[in-house]
Amino acid sequence: MSAGVPRRAVLSAFARSFLIQGSWNYHTLIGSGFAFAMLPGLRRIFAGSPERMAASIRRHLELFNAHPYLSGVALGAALRLEADGADEETVRRFKAAVRGPLGSLGDTLVWAAWLPGVSTAALALFWLGVPPTGVIAFFLIVYNLGHVALRAWGFRVGLSDGREVGRSLARANLTRLSTSLQPIVVALLGVLVGSALGGGGGLAEAGAPWVALGAAAFVVGLVVGHRAWRPAAAAVVACVVLLSAVGVLG
Amino acid sequence: MEIVRIGLLGGLLGLDATSVGQFMVSRPLVAGTLVGWALGAPGLGLAMGAMLELYLLVSFPPGGSRFPEGATATAVAVASAAGVEAAGAVPLAIGVGLLWGQVGGWTVTLLRQANAVLAPEPEDASPGPARIVAGHLGAIFADFSRAAVVTLTGVWLGRWLVGALAGRWPLPDSASWALLLVGGAVSAGILLRDMGGFRRRRVAFVAGLALGVLGTRFL
Repeated sequence: MSAGVPRRAVLSAFARSFLIQGSWNYHTLIGSGFAFAMLPGLRRIFAGSPERMAASIRRHLELFNAHPYLSGVALGAALRLEADGADEETVRRFKAAVRGPLGSLGDTLVWAAWLPGVSTAALALFWLGVPPTGVIAFFLIVYNLGHVALRAWGFRVGLSDGREVGRSLARANLTRLSTSLQPIVVALLGVLVGSALGGGGGLAEAGAPWVALGAAAFVVGLVVGHRAWRPAAAAVVACVVLLSAVGVLG
Repeated sequence: MEIVRIGLLGGLLGLDATSVGQFMVSRPLVAGTLVGWALGAPGLGLAMGAMLELYLLVSFPPGGSRFPEGATATAVAVASAAGVEAAGAVPLAIGVGLLWGQVGGWTVTLLRQANAVLAPEPEDASPGPARIVAGHLGAIFADFSRAAVVTLTGVWLGRWLVGALAGRWPLPDSASWALLLVGGAVSAGILLRDMGGFRRRRVAFVAGLALGVLGTRFL
């Protein structure tokens, strides 16, 4: 038993948390995925009480959202609350209170620091000439060590702390962790830029005008930010179309 | 048969982006290498995947937001260029991939609208366990089918375009890769801005830059 829920049901709920975004929709967001992941636990908690089970399913089908890797925090805590016999309003309020922080914490730590950091390191390895197996193994192993550890930690603290999980999140200080990752990501980005500049098939090999164009593009991204992304990709596609037309007509 | 195999692989890779796991096998770097392996060209797959990864370095896996779909875009790009010797194959295929990534992103939006019908709601008369499991797994299967169809049609279109135009491409190999790298440099600049900007992070960036340049000389 873990926090009043049989171990097998807990493990099943954790495994299902990897599918929590499977029915992502604009109406309840990951609401139905959350209910899907809660089912093994709810079946055990409300065994022999179909009315209470149906009521619980209904409240977990409601609108919910969180970063997928941290959704386990809410999932574990909700299982704990249901097992402790918390009333409907408490469960609803708890889920409403955590969904914003769990989304922004995950976005800041994972999507804005961990993923670009590991991607940048893997890209640098590629431009430094590491073979495909090495690059892919590095990326998948390092990234998923962090990924699965975060999921497991979140689910465990949710299940053990229940509605007090906010304290564990505050102690873990995930925002500070993502801030401390930033200089490392920047150093890796420097390695990537250096290796893409001077490595085999890099810009320097193509000549000084291409290096100058690359530097200009880098500055545009640095100054303009995310608004530059789509126009830059569109410009590359336009160049490809134009050069193809030149090739066909010439 | 090969195009169907790549379509199915694209379907599986597409699932990883949102619906199942997010182990990041859907990132272009991994997806490109896997599709390259399936076609007997892992080196080309990794190189094209690396290029698209650079473009999508600042594009997060979609939660509520709409982004280009990297997995199907990469599968389409690599499968369109594999086996074509002409210098234009890679830039043309990357161009098709970038466009197809937008199409993929648009189909993800459509799927999420459809999921609102598939997934049970709290107001439903009887949202029992079986209905929840069927709705959820049905939505996952729909995502797989969507990504497979997007990949399949993209590869068909990409191969036709690359076959028709690659031989007439006017730039040599090195300039073609350089053109693509210039586009990717914008994403590298955006990432530096996201991480605090050049002024705040100049020491770390310049130290890394020096290491990168030295690394290409000595490794």
